[in-house]
Amino acid sequence: MSTAPPTARAGVLSRAILYAILAVFAIAYLMPLYVMLTTSFKTLDEIHQGNMLALPDNWTIQPWLEAWGSACIGLECNGVHGYFFNSIRIVVPAVLISGLLGAFNGYVLTKWRFRGHRIVFGLILFSCFIPFQIILLPMARVLGILNIANSVTGLVLVHIVYGIGFTTLFFRNYYETFPNELIRAAQLDGAGFFTIFFRILLPASTPIIVVTIIWQFTNVWNDFLFGVSFASGDSAPITVALNNLVNSSTGVKAYNVNMAAAMVAAVPTLIVYILAGKYFLRGLMSGSVKG
Amino acid sequence: MPNSPSPQGGGARARMQRWLPKLVLSPSFVLILFFVYGFILWTTYISFSNSGMLPDYSWAGLRQWSRLWNSWTWGIALHNIWIFGLLYIVSCIVLGLLLAILLDQRIRAEGALRTIYLYPMALSFIVTGTAWQWFLNPGLGLEKTMHELGWQSFSFNWLIDSGMAIYTIVIAAVWQATGFIMAMFLAGLRGIDGEMIKAAQIDGAPAWKIYLRIIIPQLRPVFLSAVVVLAHLAIKSFDLIVAMTGGGPGNSTAVPATFMYSYAFSRNEMGIAAASAVFMLAVIAALIIPYLYSELRESRS
Amino acid sequence: MSFLHINNIRKHFGETTVLKGIDIAIEQGDFLVLVGPSGCGKSTLLNMIAGLDSISDGELLLNGRRINEVHPAQRDIAMVFQSYALYPSMTVAGNIGFGLEMRKVPKHERREAIERVAKMLQIENLLDRKPGQLSGGQRQRVAMGRALVREPQLFLFDEPLSNLDAKLRVDMRTEIKQLHQRLGATIVYVTHDQIEAMTLATRIAVMRAGELQQLGTPQQVYDDPGNLFVAGFMGSPSMNLLNARIVMVDDEPVARIAAGEGTLELPIVRDREALRGWQDREVIIGLRPEAITDPASANRQDGVIHETSLTVSLVEPTGADVYAVTHLGGRDINARMRPGTQLSPGEQTRFAFDVSRMVAFDPQSEERIR
Repeated sequence: MSTAPPTARAGVLSRAILYAILAVFAIAYLMPLYVMLTTSFKTLDEIHQGNMLALPDNWTIQPWLEAWGSACIGLECNGVHGYFFNSIRIVVPAVLISGLLGAFNGYVLTKWRFRGHRIVFGLILFSCFIPFQIILLPMARVLGILNIANSVTGLVLVHIVYGIGFTTLFFRNYYETFPNELIRAAQLDGAGFFTIFFRILLPASTPIIVVTIIWQFTNVWNDFLFGVSFASGDSAPITVALNNLVNSSTGVKAYNVNMAAAMVAAVPTLIVYILAGKYFLRGLMSGSVKG
Repeated sequence: MPNSPSPQGGGARARMQRWLPKLVLSPSFVLILFFVYGFILWTTYISFSNSGMLPDYSWAGLRQWSRLWNSWTWGIALHNIWIFGLLYIVSCIVLGLLLAILLDQRIRAEGALRTIYLYPMALSFIVTGTAWQWFLNPGLGLEKTMHELGWQSFSFNWLIDSGMAIYTIVIAAVWQATGFIMAMFLAGLRGIDGEMIKAAQIDGAPAWKIYLRIIIPQLRPVFLSAVVVLAHLAIKSFDLIVAMTGGGPGNSTAVPATFMYSYAFSRNEMGIAAASAVFMLAVIAALIIPYLYSELRESRS
Repeated sequence: MSFLHINNIRKHFGETTVLKGIDIAIEQGDFLVLVGPSGCGKSTLLNMIAGLDSISDGELLLNGRRINEVHPAQRDIAMVFQSYALYPSMTVAGNIGFGLEMRKVPKHERREAIERVAKMLQIENLLDRKPGQLSGGQRQRVAMGRALVREPQLFLFDEPLSNLDAKLRVDMRTEIKQLHQRLGATIVYVTHDQIEAMTLATRIAVMRAGELQQLGTPQQVYDDPGNLFVAGFMGSPSMNLLNARIVMVDDEPVARIAAGEGTLELPIVRDREALRGWQDREVIIGLRPEAITDPASANRQDGVIHETSLTVSLVEPTGADVYAVTHLGGRDINARMRPGTQLSPGEQTRFAFDVSRMVAFDPQSEERIR
């Protein structure tokens, strides 16, 4: 419900102004996406001659094809598709494993509390907020020692470790709302630790599973710092490839190809956002304020 | 009273059941202890060592710290993070609150507008940076468009002006996060007791006064959360700067995060990089720990 | 040998002691209600019987077997929880059958048992629903079905009716009572509602601050409260407690009570010998509202009636009765008058005291004098 005081018969004029302001903001917010999208369908000539805000005169998907398959990143000219699949190969295991660990942690930290559970949760939670610069140097060394530096596997490990904090937070806050009597009832019915988790809690966790997957997916997909620090060359994720493509100083800047590549990097998270915005917002909110 | 069920009973199965929870939690906990707290200790130690390109565990006291503090770039980075952080936090909160209040006026298309304001949050900072770098490109972007629309004197070359480049980053960052802050305020507004507002209306207060005197003061917890979240995002900001300006022109948009990265991986000065990272952690910890502590305490009662 | 024997059970949480040695024994088929204000330890005691809380000291015997260390699932008990604790993702049938499934009862037997119980509770048409689609009363029935289907030796109920609205609560109370009579089950039931305790129990255990105050049949607890706390806690409206002084008139003890300017003297009928020893000392006497009536409603057959005139200060009609408040012994006291009695505040009227129901307490120890 709106808290707005229902001003009796707010003037038509003031309503019009209100909608106008909101519309201006909406246009301002959509503008960069619009420009990015239209630019990606223009030829380079048109970009140099035409207006940034105009629709393409001659629609072309050439920039997209080039971005996907033949743009030069570093010395390789195979486009971003390989990096796109790198990102998928990183995201899927990282999301699933950190999510499962978080679900278990949330379950234990709410329903099987032990002495010191608050400290354990506090330590796990704080890991969400550290500036990752603090772990870059030792992590680079450890990945080297484990022989998974510059590899997708290494990035999966990194994302699992630093994803646990948020996944644990989500599941803990969710399971906190389940009455403890539920667990007691199940114990009286003869169910054990894992049976209670898999038969009773997990099937009732769909909303928080969706929130967690979306949150982790967005975070891991959009990561740049870990990617640029721990994976160079062939194992880099899409964000790193995009940055290398856009900010390489060699040759003529193909803005249309850059924008197409940026769209390729943006599309997966945008789709998730459009399909499940409610859950995306819920993740954001519980990542900042509790409950 | 303890919250958790503590089933009684002997037998191997029961004993197993008592150990299982801790056993299940332990992999995560061990990972966190090692990869977070162990690493923090290691980095902290390195900041007091002679490490350069390779770790060197000989004690150097405050040598790296004084080198850090005497570094010209670090001075710029600190200066920039102040400007950036302050403008970013204030703009996001002002705009976010404004949009939330406007959206709270029984707007017909609220759902669609909310979706539009919030979508940048789903984008990678690299995508955002790429888009804004193009949008603000002096040669082909906004400036040229304005010229073509007939505003010949329009000039907007902040992106390549070392005195102004940091503000372009503020613009892009605000664009990205305002929707989120708006959503936080909107949730706060919706949580306010409607009867109190009715009471104020009966008392004859005009709408703007109700907002100023009754509604906004009640949003204090949201303000606090927003400041903490934004400050934390600001200190960690790295991607956007790399994508938009690469820290340049020159070092003019360097911030602690980019400083640390370049000293760690391009300049091979581990000691200074470690010291700058420890400094960042200390600032964030001073901000986050009291906040988390109060949040967790509240949820206890 | 009693069926359930709670033998000097204690519970400590760290430094604090929440149960200070509870002794209760009940027989098979008994309906034991643990009643008391919140924080009295009744739920902790119930959880200890269930095996969900550990027993710090003492012994718990079920059917002659010590079960202190037996896992909750192996105690052959079932429990109905305050929040119902229905498994949210399972259907009603799944909820009822889960305990049997865990005990590896074959599927067809399970289905028969579920249907039998569902029929008994009239929830056959709900078996495929999820708990989220049920009303409060329906959830309550499912929670009971989950307990009934197991056919345990002992049923535990933890404030099962406190989440229902007033009308439904009365209906479910009746149903639980009928169920108990039909099945002859042994039940331990926790509530803070003394009316629930009175109507359901065959045995009531009144608890306060971790101590058992009194154990007895509802009638015993109501008519013969063991101390001031039980007297004040059980019954609604609660027992009138007033200050009095024991004096000897013709060598018989009477209770002298301040009444307006003068005094009222009520003859002592119960515990007369014990009260002789209280000559010239202050006591607190207790009289239920229904033992103070208008003269025409007085029970002259069984009681000993003493009449006097007093000023009415407040009249509260409830429909079934009219309660008149008057001032006596330094307190406001409630008297239950015949329905339709026309009274107005300030009016003088005759009150009939049934002194055969009067009990007396030691003001210091708060114990009953008898």
